[in-house]
Amino acid sequence: MVKFKDVTKRFGSVMALDKVSFEVKKSEFVFITGPSGAGKTTILKLILGEYFPDTGQVEVDGTDVRVIKDEDLPHFRQKIGVVFQDFKVLPERTVSENVEVALAVIGLSESEWHERIMHVLKLVGLSKQADLFPSQLSGGELQRVSLARALVVNPNILLADEPTGNLDWETSEAIMELFEKINKEGKTVIMATHNLEILKKYKKRVIHLVSGKIINK
Amino acid sequence: MSTHLKTALGYIRRAPFQAMAAIFVLTLTFFVTTLVAILTYSSSKLISYFETRPQVIAFLKDSVKEDEVATLQHKLEADVRVKEVKYVSKEEALSIYKKATSDNPLLGELVSPSIFPASLEFSVKDLTFAQEIIDEVKGEGIVDSVGFTAALGGESSLRDVVGRLKTITTYVKVGGGVFVGILALTSFTVLLVIISMRMTTRREEIEILNLIGATRGFIRSPIVLEALIYAVTGAVVGWITAFITVLYLAPSAVVYFGEIPVLPKDTLSLLGLFGIILAGELLFGLILGTGGSLLAVSRVRRAR
Repeated sequence: MVKFKDVTKRFGSVMALDKVSFEVKKSEFVFITGPSGAGKTTILKLILGEYFPDTGQVEVDGTDVRVIKDEDLPHFRQKIGVVFQDFKVLPERTVSENVEVALAVIGLSESEWHERIMHVLKLVGLSKQADLFPSQLSGGELQRVSLARALVVNPNILLADEPTGNLDWETSEAIMELFEKINKEGKTVIMATHNLEILKKYKKRVIHLVSGKIINK
Repeated sequence: MSTHLKTALGYIRRAPFQAMAAIFVLTLTFFVTTLVAILTYSSSKLISYFETRPQVIAFLKDSVKEDEVATLQHKLEADVRVKEVKYVSKEEALSIYKKATSDNPLLGELVSPSIFPASLEFSVKDLTFAQEIIDEVKGEGIVDSVGFTAALGGESSLRDVVGRLKTITTYVKVGGGVFVGILALTSFTVLLVIISMRMTTRREEIEILNLIGATRGFIRSPIVLEALIYAVTGAVVGWITAFITVLYLAPSAVVYFGEIPVLPKDTLSLLGLFGIILAGELLFGLILGTGGSLLAVSRVRRAR
């Protein structure tokens, strides 16, 4: 599903990734871990096509991200769900409108929106908060909105960048349960985290990065 | 309602003062544009009125025969420099004289048709032809003398009037055009600034949309729509304000200019004129809105 082959990415004099190679199979759940600045987010951004590798190859669902033309990048990204540490929800839109925007982006007919939104909000446990604004939600609920928006387009891959970074342990566990549930439904999940408690509790494959290099797979 | 329109209206609702500033400037631009268009129309009608008045009168000899008059009349009618040739008999000349001296009937009673010569009156399509035509007509055997209507009331006064009107029209066109141009540029700049501000305040939203796979068109559409809403609202409000102003001033203008058709006489023609102006302004507004917003979007994208 995702293949990195000798990928190097440099930002000025900083080596973010140094000849990184790994593979994530379909329906797999993989943690990418390491200290801050190890290159976890860079890996996710390379998968999303936000960065291009300096050298090496990044392949996502059979597509080499370097050959994707600018005009094709949005369609490529529509197949990938993303969840961020800082939630990145639209503050002036309600919960259902935040989810709705992802459906508008993929150009789904409006008549199908309601059913899909309600289904995904039920899945993340936000059915009752559908008409609330982000300012009226807790951190855990905001992360669920972000997750609902990522899931509503039925992506092949779900990327999560420190999704529990801003949450307490109890809420983090609830969010992790959701990710596990989603993974069991067949979605590939790649999650960047440095939360050791999560790594210990959820026994998944771990890619450990230090200073842009993988020290185990 | 489409998602993009809903988003655009949301942007406007959340920043009403920016929206008001944009609409106000655009309203002013289109108000002035409408008035300049009407002034241009009226001044061209004024010139046309004076230019089409009979300007040359060929006074015929008393001995002239009807067929000779008809021959000269046909000759003049066939001349491309000449228009609206009219034969005025002695009786009609007396009638015109009596009408002109109606405030002093005694003057009319003292004369008989025999003292007034029959004449051929005509206009020239351009006043620059006047002198050469007068010279040519003077050479005709049946013509006694040739008068330039202006000369009847004072040397070259008609030429002066038309010349002055042409100068005024030029001032209206050039001055109005420059003023409208400055206002249009101001509107364009205001739109550019407001849309750029919108792009800056929406940077995070744009970033999120980019990450979830929104196309460039999807991101730009609400912003372009917002600019178009400003432009169309400005055009319509400016036009309505100018229309009401013209309707308010029209009775006074009609009384002042009398028979000179500075504005269309019937309602349908007036609406037609204003309809054409509105259509032109809407088109201009669409170009202004689309151009301004796309430029702002592209500049902000470059800045990132």
